[in-house]
Amino acid sequence: MSTVVDRKTHYAMEGNKTFLEFRKNTVARHSDIVDAWCVDTCQMWCTGLGRAFENGGPEDIYWLIPGDFNYGTAVGQEVLGRLHDLPEICLELDQDLCIGEIATDHSNSKQLIDTYGTFALLYNWFPAEAQEIRQYTERPRSEFFAIRHSFLREVLRQRWYAYEQTVVMLLQAVFTEKHISRFFVGNISDLPEGRDSLNSAMQQVERTERVLKTFWREQQQEKSTWSERYRLLESQSEQVRRTALILLENLLK
Amino acid sequence: MSSTSRGQYGAHNITVRNFICNAPQAKHVSVVGDFNGWNPSAHPMQRGPDGNWTLRVDLRHGHHRYVYIADGQMTLDPKAMGIARDDQNQRVSLIAVS
Repeated sequence: MSTVVDRKTHYAMEGNKTFLEFRKNTVARHSDIVDAWCVDTCQMWCTGLGRAFENGGPEDIYWLIPGDFNYGTAVGQEVLGRLHDLPEICLELDQDLCIGEIATDHSNSKQLIDTYGTFALLYNWFPAEAQEIRQYTERPRSEFFAIRHSFLREVLRQRWYAYEQTVVMLLQAVFTEKHISRFFVGNISDLPEGRDSLNSAMQQVERTERVLKTFWREQQQEKSTWSERYRLLESQSEQVRRTALILLENLLK
Repeated sequence: MSSTSRGQYGAHNITVRNFICNAPQAKHVSVVGDFNGWNPSAHPMQRGPDGNWTLRVDLRHGHHRYVYIADGQMTLDPKAMGIARDDQNQRVSLIAVS
């Protein structure tokens, strides 16, 4: 087991005794610490999964435990108790990717972002694949997943993006007809949310658009007519994003 | 799917799970899955007065794929713990038994 620690976090916490003790007495005791300078969380994923892949073999399944989730809460405990199901499903039922899904109520910011942002943008850039993905999960940006060695090998050799890597993995899984599954890992409801979540929600929608736009272009740019189609989709995408941001502003105030 | 009651059978790692399918108009409902070889006649369900069809099934620990067959139509369980593909590449429901 490896734990990736961003050097930015390390230096930001340099004088923090609690952090240093936690690192030494808890994290280092249960896993190898990989210190790395990372642009964003997805680079931490890339570093950790890449290292696990290089130490693993063809029969292995890998799963990710995000570090920015509060496992001390009741929801966190529930999620921790079910995380083992994800790699077991891949192994027992011969699945390539298993997404862990946290259920939320309709007014939760994660739900709103995915309904009006992520899926709306996916339907614009990758309509057929988006429909396929939604047959499995309402949380295409989930940070809880397990992945088979052979599929991780493919994913690691593709272009890796700074954010929303789960969406990209799901698209790659649909392109290559991989076996995708989804499993319920927990439930969040009635959490107070306000202005902070609006700012974060808007940023997440903008990031998703940037990734999908870049990914589409890289998939299509060998075709001679790609730029014409790209301009049309980009214009539609802008409308989708603006609408999503208006709705999020109305609903998350 | 609901797991309203369960029993442990010691070293055999078997747990009883209750399956519930809401199909008030159906004439016949069964549950099929990897635990009965996807055989529609292996586990017929019983209709209750509220239109819910129920059945208790002994399942080995681990993860199982299943669907309901209501009057010959394959139906996913809307309350399933998950979704996966079966060997024919069709979407099926998932249940974890631990």
